[in-house]
Amino acid sequence: MMIGRACCLSLALTLSLPVIAVEPSVTTDLTSREAYEQPVSALSEADRPKFFKGRNLVRQSWVIPPSENREIAGLGPLYNRISCIACHAGNGRGFAPATPQESMHSMLVRLSIPGTDQHGGPNPHPGYGGQLNEFGVPGVPGEGKAEVSYTEFAIKLNGDEQVMLRKPSLTFVDLAYGDFPADLLTSPRIAPPIFGLGLLQAVAEADIVALENAAKPKGIQGKVNRVWDEAQQKTVVGRFGWKANMPNLRQQIAGAFVGDMGITSALFPLENCTSVQTACKLSLSAGTPELSNEQLDASEFYHFALAAPAQRNPENAEVKHGAQLFTQAQCAACHVPDLRTSVFPGYPALSNKTIHPYTDLLLHDMGKPLADNRPDYLATGQEWRTPPLWGIGLAQKVEPRAGFLHDGRARTLLEAILWHDGEAKNSAQLVKDMSAMDRRDLVEFLESL
Amino acid sequence: MTQLKLLVTVCLFLLSQFACATEKVVVLTSYPQEVVTQFEAAFEQAYPQYQLEILWRQSRDAMSYLHQPHSAVDVYWTPAQRNFAVLSKEGAFRKLDVDLKGLPKVIGGFQISDPDGFYVATETAGYGMAYNPEELHRLGLPVPTDWKTLTSPAFNGHIVFPIPSKIGYAPMLADTLLQSYGWEQGWSVLEQVAANAHLADAGSAFISDDVGSGRIAVGATIDFFAISAIANGKPLRFSYPEKVGYSPAHVAIFRDAAHLEAARKFVSFVLSEQGQKILFHPDIRKLPVRPAVYANKPDGYFDPFASAQLASYNYDMAAGLARQEVVGALFDALITRHHAALKTMWAAIHQAEQKSPDDPRLKSARMHANWLPLTTVQVNDALLQQSFIKHDSQAENAERQWDEEIAKQYVQATQLAQEILESKK
Repeated sequence: MMIGRACCLSLALTLSLPVIAVEPSVTTDLTSREAYEQPVSALSEADRPKFFKGRNLVRQSWVIPPSENREIAGLGPLYNRISCIACHAGNGRGFAPATPQESMHSMLVRLSIPGTDQHGGPNPHPGYGGQLNEFGVPGVPGEGKAEVSYTEFAIKLNGDEQVMLRKPSLTFVDLAYGDFPADLLTSPRIAPPIFGLGLLQAVAEADIVALENAAKPKGIQGKVNRVWDEAQQKTVVGRFGWKANMPNLRQQIAGAFVGDMGITSALFPLENCTSVQTACKLSLSAGTPELSNEQLDASEFYHFALAAPAQRNPENAEVKHGAQLFTQAQCAACHVPDLRTSVFPGYPALSNKTIHPYTDLLLHDMGKPLADNRPDYLATGQEWRTPPLWGIGLAQKVEPRAGFLHDGRARTLLEAILWHDGEAKNSAQLVKDMSAMDRRDLVEFLESL
Repeated sequence: MTQLKLLVTVCLFLLSQFACATEKVVVLTSYPQEVVTQFEAAFEQAYPQYQLEILWRQSRDAMSYLHQPHSAVDVYWTPAQRNFAVLSKEGAFRKLDVDLKGLPKVIGGFQISDPDGFYVATETAGYGMAYNPEELHRLGLPVPTDWKTLTSPAFNGHIVFPIPSKIGYAPMLADTLLQSYGWEQGWSVLEQVAANAHLADAGSAFISDDVGSGRIAVGATIDFFAISAIANGKPLRFSYPEKVGYSPAHVAIFRDAAHLEAARKFVSFVLSEQGQKILFHPDIRKLPVRPAVYANKPDGYFDPFASAQLASYNYDMAAGLARQEVVGALFDALITRHHAALKTMWAAIHQAEQKSPDDPRLKSARMHANWLPLTTVQVNDALLQQSFIKHDSQAENAERQWDEEIAKQYVQATQLAQEILESKK
């Protein structure tokens, strides 16, 4: 039953214009730099304190223990940044450094070695763990620094247009815990936006599986990632993260707290030290765990309740034309415009809503140019989860340097499109072959989201 | 040979870059991420050879941390005036040997930088009233131009006011009001505004949330919260009172700074024209302390130096900082813990004044309503201040006595006002 409904939905979407109905209860019409920070309008008076508490935690700069402020202590021993919004400024996306001299302000590098962990996930490096933490608390050396440099090349488009793309490469310096092995797997990732995630969690697993099984245009596959759920201690459908390697928001949030800031929680109670990081292991903790369940609840609720921006100017002629081109170029086969949430006990206000995230939450082979060659559960080194496009037109209003694609290499939406390969190769070619005016309308449509 | 020379030169250059890139400067701050982010990025761009490492601690926690041995901090850069005064007195800082030309030490009657030159102001913020024009219009209320505007009964229920003992910026807000109006009149204004207000504590929504959404028409606040929200699209406005109170932030280099040159560069950068202009960023909106940068300020940006030429008053910063806890405790006793009684009392007095403005009992009612446990001389007593900083048994006893007396005074004031209201005339 569910499969049939999703099949019809997907087919309808690939053949017709996206449906842009406004859901006032889960979207926001605000278009300012605070557009990603708005609660769904269904937020009740009773829920406001929890929402604001969660917001305070996301905005909080965390403190290295020991501290008199026990409730905000726990940063380190190793960390990337001291607050969530240091990477997710305005709840939006991050950006890649422009030069090797520039630090990774809102980006990190995942690390692993070949093989898998006990649950089928990436195999962390024995000395450095699963990601490079640039900073350490006093007495604990930071792990090292990743520098990004670029090779630029031109892509010619129909209509005598030319776009410069930049291909990033990584160099590691100041490595404090020994050299990296030759077979190290690395994957640079910019911070993704954090609004609308409650709505994506409210989409039933069965509906994501149904999208996997739905008929798609030739050459387009789509695969569910299946990942380890720490709380349930079993493998479930993955839906969050650049490779859909996280099963739910709670684990995503707790994972970021410990991975990016070294703040432990009931879900991840161990500090982020490897066996060879002696000073790290001897370092003080602010508590066991450092983030209380109540704080994790509030943080999760805040994420649940963040609205997604509604589309702007859907009746504008260029936007309408761009929407048609979006469908014609088969972008909508993966960037599925409409999904339906299910009954969602986590936050009932999100239940049974039609939403417009422009994602199928599935993994797609994006080809060699975008590959990180680092498998993550069922995701191969060339597969990435379709990132949601809702709100993407406001990305550079919220953070002027916001980048696109997993490593922020694309500085514009057109650059991001031109990097598409693999299953999306035909779509990218169609865009290259479009007239310059059509491409502008297509981008205009994306900017309206 | 030439190629070899070139190679050696390149290698030496790269080595020097590498060596410089590892030099860091450790900065302790309590600034929110938005401020840190902008300065971090700009400093890195200006001085790529230095790595800025931020340690974050709230003011009280910072003092404990800094009193530990080996705290390893180079620069203290934060809005925490009292910490700077205390640390400077303890000899923790070096005399600042950076270029301070073009940086006045005062704004009108406000001393913003250390006269002895151990720490200097990096920015300041002003206190005033955020308001929602649409909501004010809907309620038929005037735009507030002074704190006294908010004492009108018409504003009852339409104001939010921060509790000084709970919200970091609020002690100075209360004290600037007390110093600009004078001790007795200042408390009277504070009480009457608070009687009209919802009180905000640390767990509340931001004042800019409540006012921006129109849930509440006016909020007493520090300017940058509101002005940044305006810059980012919130439909509110901000009004400074005629005599503006300021809360400056400072920077200092520790005497034992391990990365002295990098520390100097960071301090110089923060104070430079480039650094001061960062304060105009929509996410920050603080007031630069370098007057020259106001020549290129965004439209409508408040210039405290220009404002001080129109109206100013002498604010005793040392006195204000020293009595912070006592004023906070008084606010809690007079207002926070007796808020319901305060509201009832002032509502009754205002009604009585309307009904019988010449009734001699009104003077007595106001006298009880304005009763204060401490005089302006007593509040400046150093022993009392220390007692409230430690919050020892003497402070607890005093608070108990205040509570008892305040409750009585409010009852008497309310009874007198009600007698007037119930009298036939």
